Amino acid sequence: MAEIRFEGVSKVYSDGTRAVESLELTIGEGEFMVFVGPSGCGKTTALRMVAGLEEISGGAILIGDRVVNEISPKHRDVAMVFQNYALYPHMTVAENLAFGLKLRKHNKGEIDERVRAAAAALDLEDHLERKPRALSGGQRQRVALGRAIVREPAAFLMDEPLSNLDAALRVQTRAEILKLQKRLATTTIYVTHDQVEAMTMGDRIAVMKKGILQQIGTPEELYCRPANVFVATFIGSPSMSIVPGPMIGVGREGQLAGFRPEHIELGASDVPSVRFDAVVEVVEYLGDEQLVHLRLGDQALVAKLPVSATVQAGASESFAVPLASIALFDSASGEATAWSAAA
Amino acid sequence: MIAFSFRRRIVRSGGEAQGLVSPADWRRPRVKWGLGFAQTLLLVWLVVIGLGPILWLAKSAITPTQDTITHPMAFFPHGFAWSNVTQAWTDVDVGRYFWNTIVIAIGSWLSQILVATTAGFALSVLRPKYAKVITGLLLTTLFVPAVVLLVPLYVEIVHPPLVHHSFIDSYWAIWLPAGASAFNVVLITRFFDNLPREIFEAARIDGCGPFRLFVSIVLPMSRPILGVVSVFALLASWKDFLWPLLVLTDPNKQPLSVRLPTIQSQTELGVFLAAMFISCLVPIVGFLIFQRSFLRGGGLGGAIKG
Repeated sequence: MAEIRFEGVSKVYSDGTRAVESLELTIGEGEFMVFVGPSGCGKTTALRMVAGLEEISGGAILIGDRVVNEISPKHRDVAMVFQNYALYPHMTVAENLAFGLKLRKHNKGEIDERVRAAAAALDLEDHLERKPRALSGGQRQRVALGRAIVREPAAFLMDEPLSNLDAALRVQTRAEILKLQKRLATTTIYVTHDQVEAMTMGDRIAVMKKGILQQIGTPEELYCRPANVFVATFIGSPSMSIVPGPMIGVGREGQLAGFRPEHIELGASDVPSVRFDAVVEVVEYLGDEQLVHLRLGDQALVAKLPVSATVQAGASESFAVPLASIALFDSASGEATAWSAAA
Repeated sequence: MIAFSFRRRIVRSGGEAQGLVSPADWRRPRVKWGLGFAQTLLLVWLVVIGLGPILWLAKSAITPTQDTITHPMAFFPHGFAWSNVTQAWTDVDVGRYFWNTIVIAIGSWLSQILVATTAGFALSVLRPKYAKVITGLLLTTLFVPAVVLLVPLYVEIVHPPLVHHSFIDSYWAIWLPAGASAFNVVLITRFFDNLPREIFEAARIDGCGPFRLFVSIVLPMSRPILGVVSVFALLASWKDFLWPLLVLTDPNKQPLSVRLPTIQSQTELGVFLAAMFISCLVPIVGFLIFQRSFLRGGGLGGAIKG
């Protein structure tokens, strides 16, 4: 368990591509930090720089109190779980788990004990003598996780470990990873492009775009107080609706108003609100709620309404959004200027 | 019958038809008998062309010389002549040349495998900055005809740099040049290029240095290509005639490929054919052992998400 610090870390590839720009970030001991962002935002590059798989172009990375810029991957005391499992195909599950310990010259008794414990924790005891090819996708990913935890490293680095699993298995494995991380209290950096994964797993989330850190905070902070339009629209599903403020009568010229789908109400509201008429384009029935796609002028909005609300596609309806739930952004910079239009 | 069972096996093994003709088509009498007959004919033709000469050699190796000359296609009209084989082994001293050939082939194979795998590992996995230049230079050597290199190579062997001791009449004269095979290096480099990088990265994080990565991860994952290179290396070495003739002047050190043409005029035909059959055995057995490497895919099952 160790703190990980990025001090002005940059990565510039030989073709001039700036993958990461002056990243300043501290991940506390035992913290579960999620790097999230769209493809090409630099999240995986940042993770690989911690692992030692990418050279650092500028700045310093510290694991504990050691600057690890020039330290080889094997001496950084980190374990990595790859998106594609990266299991050794010619070794059995037990050999895959034990490989890192053997290289670190642990004695046989200790290796057997740790492998058994990891296998028990991940429900792999019956598969120890099998080769990876004989395992299902979920089992292979559990072996990859086991290979990381068996080493008891200072930090876990996970690069989209669930993206190859089907939806049900992803939810189950997500919970298993969380339980493991809480039990072991090992500092973890988890990379994903899936904001649901980020919101449900991270103690804190770092949102990145084009190599630049956009915001760092708890899931609640990111959801309720996004730093800019990018974070506001990236976090949350369906994403926050952004319209010019004056269009719904809030803010001033040059300001954007943002509100979450669940804050749009059908008809009037009991609290101070803005009201607008919009055309219902599509209604998606989800069982416990419905997603209503609206057209307000040239803007597309999404409302999350209870199933009791009766709306028909093609009809024009009146909607309300509480002022306290509307965030205001500067339209030029995209930065948040207020998280509530009620003030 | 052969075609019929062949068809059934295809359908059964996959659960559904694997070939161009569907099971429904196979049930039609015209397809069943027409295509079945064509397949049988093709199979017989392939057996005759491919196996015929080897089988004839095997038969002639244990047939009296007189029978082979008068009735070359007859099956043992006057019985067997097992003495051909024992005579070839003892009188012609095939055993000695056989051993020489094995020593030369194994040494050449080791030399080629060692150079090709280490060079391939360096160029593909370690990837130094000048790797592309070296790969380019290696590729250019493939365009130089081997016969053009005979004289400079011979001079190198007679006056090797640093050693200052001629390698003529030493097996090193064959082993060392055998290792310098650009074709093998390119072949193995391309194979290594296609191995998943994530596995190497996982191994590096697990604690592998370059040597351990090579021995514990890369080589075990490369069994198919090692099998292919081994077959090429062993066969090439086994049948090589010109270079061993040039650098091994001592008859006691020469391989079968050099000795057999030399002894032909002084040896009875039956004994000579027996000697030839013995010389063919090892490549055939070697191929049967390694042929699985050709037929089997890469050993990456389950390593990464496909």
